[in-house]
Amino acid sequence: MTPQIVVALILVLAVPIGGIRLLLWHRAAGALASPVRTSLLLLLQVMAAGLLYMALFPPGTSGSTSSLRIATANTSRLAATAGGSPLVLLPEAPASGGGEAVPDLATALRRHPGVTSLTIVGDGLGPRDIDAAHGLAVHFDPPPLHPGILYLAPPPAVAPGARFTVGVTLTGLPNATAELVDPAGRVTDSGTPDKNGHVLLAGTARAAGATSFTLRVRRDKRVIEQADVPVWVADNARPKLLILAGAPGAEVKYLRRWAIDAGYDVTTQMSAGGGIALGDAPVALDAASLRRFDAAIVDDRSWAGARGALLAAARGGMGLVLRPGGPIDGTTRSQWLALGFGLSGPGGVAPLVLPKVDAEPVARTRQGIGSEEAPVDIATTEDYLPDISRLGLTPGGNDAVPLLRDAGGATLGAWRALGAGRVALFTGIDSYGLTLTGRRDLYGDWWSALLDTVARPAPGSRVLTDTGWVGERMALCALTGEAQVDGRVRVLPINGYGGYWPTQAGWHMLRSKDAASAFYVQPADALPTMRAAHNSKAMALLSAAEAKQASAALPGQSGATWLWWLGWLAVSALLWWLERARLGRRTAPAETPQSAM
Amino acid sequence: MSAETLFAHWIAPARRRRFADTLALALPLVLALAVLGWRWGGLIAALLVATVSLAVALAVARQRMARFDRPWLIRSLDTTRPELEDSSALLFADEAPASPLQSLQRSRIAARLDQGAPQDLAPAWSSRLLLLSSLLAVALIAAAMLWPRAGEGPPTLAPSSEGMPAKPGVPRLVAQNLRIIPPAYTGLPVRDSGSLDARVPQGSRLEWTLRFDPQASAPKLLMLGNQPIALRPDGANWIASRAADAAFLYRVDPAAGRGPTPPLHRVDAIADASPQVKALTDSLTMVKPGQRSWSPAFTATDDYGVAASARLRVTLAIGEGENVTFSEREIPVSGSGPARDRRFTPRLDFSTFGFAAGGDMVVQLIVRDNRAPNPQEVRGPSLILRWLSPKAPESSGLTGMVNTTLPAYFRSQRQIIIDIEKLLKEKRGLAPDRYLARSASIGGDQQILRGRYSQFLGGENEDAPDLPTADGEAHSDGDGHDHGGPPVSTPNVFGEKEDVLAEFGHPHDESPASSLDPETRVVLKQAVDEMWQSERELKTGHPDTALPYAYKALRFIKEVQQATRIFLSRVGPELPPIDATRRMTGKREGLASRQLEITPIEQQDGPAAAAWRALGDGPDAIRGPINLAPLDGWVRTNATRLPDALALSGAIDAVRQDPGCTACRAKLRALLWGAMERPSGHLARRRPADAAGARYLDRIGAAQ
Repeated sequence: MTPQIVVALILVLAVPIGGIRLLLWHRAAGALASPVRTSLLLLLQVMAAGLLYMALFPPGTSGSTSSLRIATANTSRLAATAGGSPLVLLPEAPASGGGEAVPDLATALRRHPGVTSLTIVGDGLGPRDIDAAHGLAVHFDPPPLHPGILYLAPPPAVAPGARFTVGVTLTGLPNATAELVDPAGRVTDSGTPDKNGHVLLAGTARAAGATSFTLRVRRDKRVIEQADVPVWVADNARPKLLILAGAPGAEVKYLRRWAIDAGYDVTTQMSAGGGIALGDAPVALDAASLRRFDAAIVDDRSWAGARGALLAAARGGMGLVLRPGGPIDGTTRSQWLALGFGLSGPGGVAPLVLPKVDAEPVARTRQGIGSEEAPVDIATTEDYLPDISRLGLTPGGNDAVPLLRDAGGATLGAWRALGAGRVALFTGIDSYGLTLTGRRDLYGDWWSALLDTVARPAPGSRVLTDTGWVGERMALCALTGEAQVDGRVRVLPINGYGGYWPTQAGWHMLRSKDAASAFYVQPADALPTMRAAHNSKAMALLSAAEAKQASAALPGQSGATWLWWLGWLAVSALLWWLERARLGRRTAPAETPQSAM
Repeated sequence: MSAETLFAHWIAPARRRRFADTLALALPLVLALAVLGWRWGGLIAALLVATVSLAVALAVARQRMARFDRPWLIRSLDTTRPELEDSSALLFADEAPASPLQSLQRSRIAARLDQGAPQDLAPAWSSRLLLLSSLLAVALIAAAMLWPRAGEGPPTLAPSSEGMPAKPGVPRLVAQNLRIIPPAYTGLPVRDSGSLDARVPQGSRLEWTLRFDPQASAPKLLMLGNQPIALRPDGANWIASRAADAAFLYRVDPAAGRGPTPPLHRVDAIADASPQVKALTDSLTMVKPGQRSWSPAFTATDDYGVAASARLRVTLAIGEGENVTFSEREIPVSGSGPARDRRFTPRLDFSTFGFAAGGDMVVQLIVRDNRAPNPQEVRGPSLILRWLSPKAPESSGLTGMVNTTLPAYFRSQRQIIIDIEKLLKEKRGLAPDRYLARSASIGGDQQILRGRYSQFLGGENEDAPDLPTADGEAHSDGDGHDHGGPPVSTPNVFGEKEDVLAEFGHPHDESPASSLDPETRVVLKQAVDEMWQSERELKTGHPDTALPYAYKALRFIKEVQQATRIFLSRVGPELPPIDATRRMTGKREGLASRQLEITPIEQQDGPAAAAWRALGDGPDAIRGPINLAPLDGWVRTNATRLPDALALSGAIDAVRQDPGCTACRAKLRALLWGAMERPSGHLARRRPADAAGARYLDRIGAAQ
């Protein structure tokens, strides 16, 4: 029973009771009563009841089908019962009684053809319904967001053993702590949000496979929210690396050691002067032989002789990492400047500020178990600081993208695209000192970051980092043809996009003929704030597009209600005056309507 | 006999009796308490309890004895001896009787008093109470001796907490006890554990006592990855024992596999920690003058105990320069303090070791703990005692090259200023001639100082100031200044290089200052000029006018001091210059690169990574039973490098028992994460650009 019917029933009962009472009085009054006045009162009572009903439920909106109110998730009972256009209940809306239950918005719009404006109450439309609302005037006041995780950016595909970063944005939690918990349940990183709520947390991967870390947000030791952070660890084909050096040295030795351990196929070439070359079998530095390599690490002394061939190879897709062996001369500097690295600074060699050593329990979670060949080596704050410096020139400028920074904020590495390839500049000198003082992880992080960024691209498995929820439509992008999710569900893409309704949380594989991508589906109740923000942002885009129509529709509606109320007030006033007036009791009642009018 | 002696004579037997009686009553109780203390706290506790309770008993006895006082004596005499006619108070009154009648009565009574003996007044032995207290003590002692202590006698079984469902006909563990007998050297008591999981000291003996319902036929303790232990019947119970040399997992199998698989239990063996030696003395100590011996101090701590005797390794390095001889010996030392925290402070007499000046003594403490049978030996830090030779140490490195030569002179000039100021302050109280003499003496000092600086500058400014009193006087030897020689000639030490020039000559340009740059020379000369002025004023008895000159001189010296350090050349190996034309001219035939192959580190967690993938929810996951045998084997072979191999084995077993158990799989997976290697960062490849991206990159690449 809707309020509308209840009000109507009350009015229908009240009017006859009032009429009977009037008629009884009329009979009792006898000669004093005037039949005209009585009939006028009866008429006015009926009119007042009618007008009151119209004022409460204005016919302009309630009766017509040009506007609908859509109840979505978390619609308050008050908002649902407030008068206005007909109420449509989407499946997420709480069952508050009253209103028409529909499976989705499109169904509601089919049932009510001619609807031009929608009023959304509750949390807003989800991805299922948002497309159906296009082209309509949408009126929606997004509810305030609950404090929690506003956005979670899981890392893209991570290589085995690599360090990865998770981005988190918190809302309404300025004093909270975000912790990244590894699959063994140990806290591997923690941070407090900056003034915009952003936190960056780092972890390290192990062997290839699907992994999920946990993000935990705490305030005063109380867990506010917890969410899975999917991490897809994928192995790649063995890359080929060329190391060119103008002289043998410790840096090349340790680079070779590290790269071979990291699964590279390494070729080193060092010049010892006088035409003597050390290292592996000589490689001709021409286009054909360089095409075989995925990346090359070149120092400033060997750069001078091989510049043309290396740049041509980089344009063809090879990754090029330039590093100085010491202070660089003017020629090299101008050549590197010409590559787009805006080198600025006093030149020479500057000290490099190493980041602080992690606390011992955190460092332990970052490292795996040791082996006899490579035992766990955790640096402590008491350890000897390696003597590592950097070039006194900082790469910058609009063309280069900063990649590595030291703890003092100076850019250590930057890269830029060069044709199909990329070229990076690393300004660290004698970075091998890290491997000798327990900072092997930092050394690996630096060189991995450089080579990951520039190395020749190759097709392989990848991970979709968009967050999807169980029971919510998610878009799978960049599909080239028909694909299958988990070998069961066929996805037929339109313009490269396919829709998918996940029913199960966890990892899913999207396989097409030539590619495979993994994606992770969060449980339906995970990350509620992020989901609400996500939806309300889509709603805001929708509302913005139709803002003009919506703003035009609203005043008319409120104007009509106001007129009904005015009419009811006028009739009630007349009724009241007529009841109290002596008019028609003794003198001629026929004049009453005239004077009243 | 005075009243006091009389009183003492009469009261003594009663008091003695009461004292002895109280002690006799207390002694059995004291004994019982001591036995109780010994039983629960050891010998020290027993002694403590005995001492305290004895002290209490003595105090009580004294208290009770003190109740026999003068009124009591009078009262009891009056009641027991009618012949005293209630007048015994007169006998024991201190003051003389007030009236003749009283003294008469007193003498009468005194005669009668000796008819009885004081012993009659002594109270009887409280034999009944004595009996009671003895009985109580006997009961207490018996109870203390017979009360069962943990680890003694048959154990009391605790109800089983395995929670296995009861099946008719299948035996089930219903009660259990695990007795832990630690090795004797640990000094830990035997204890009974109601739980089948335990953490025990390594080398402990474990004794299980188990009861089954219904009675089992051949129950066993199944050791995970080891031989099972058969249980022996012992009355209604079953027993088994084993030494805990390493941690292990086991389960109680009452029904030889017929019933449901019972849960695993874990026994951790806590290894005996090595002793820790800490030096309390600084790592480098210098011998003080007059020192004849040295007592370095160490503390050694251990979890169970450090052996009282240790060895001290003493290494002596005697000699200097290249002539150093080493000798090493070990001497036994004994420690003091409790076993867990011993202190070693050996006293080392220099004479016994032949330790002499210019030598180093290095000591290192070698301690053992009391583990049996193999004590753990630990070497502590080395402490050095250095006896500097009287000769100044030879400087080495840069310290010898940079030699600041001015500070001593600089201080002298300041001293002169201080002297002048002091003289000016005392001027009023001084006679004029005295004042003049002191001023002249300061002037003499100033002259000596100026002489030094002149010498430093090559003796160029050697002329004495023009003294107003010395007009026309030619200067000669012995007239107060000489020609650049050192003001105080130092006697030559035999064997040292003789400074012939300084002694006999008159150097001009070969002075140390010739290494100074001209500006510094000028400033120094200015300083010398100011000193002249100051000296002249001082010698003429005007210290007040001399003061500004002295200050100026000081300022100039200071300027030089701050501006310059004097670098003295140091003769080192002189290398011939590199001849660049000869570089790379040697024969290079047959030279080739000989690079050693590098074998990459082998990833040794293959089975762990495979199991990790199989247990997860990714594309490689296996929902059903997983072949865990490779993982199990890997865990066994790599047990030493895994953080907790036993927990991993237990989790593997749990998943094997129930492949569908999600919690067990999650637990195994969590443990596996901590047991995997972190590969050296492999390459994460970026994806190739699509057609539009390639076109874009091509365009911007071409634009360059």
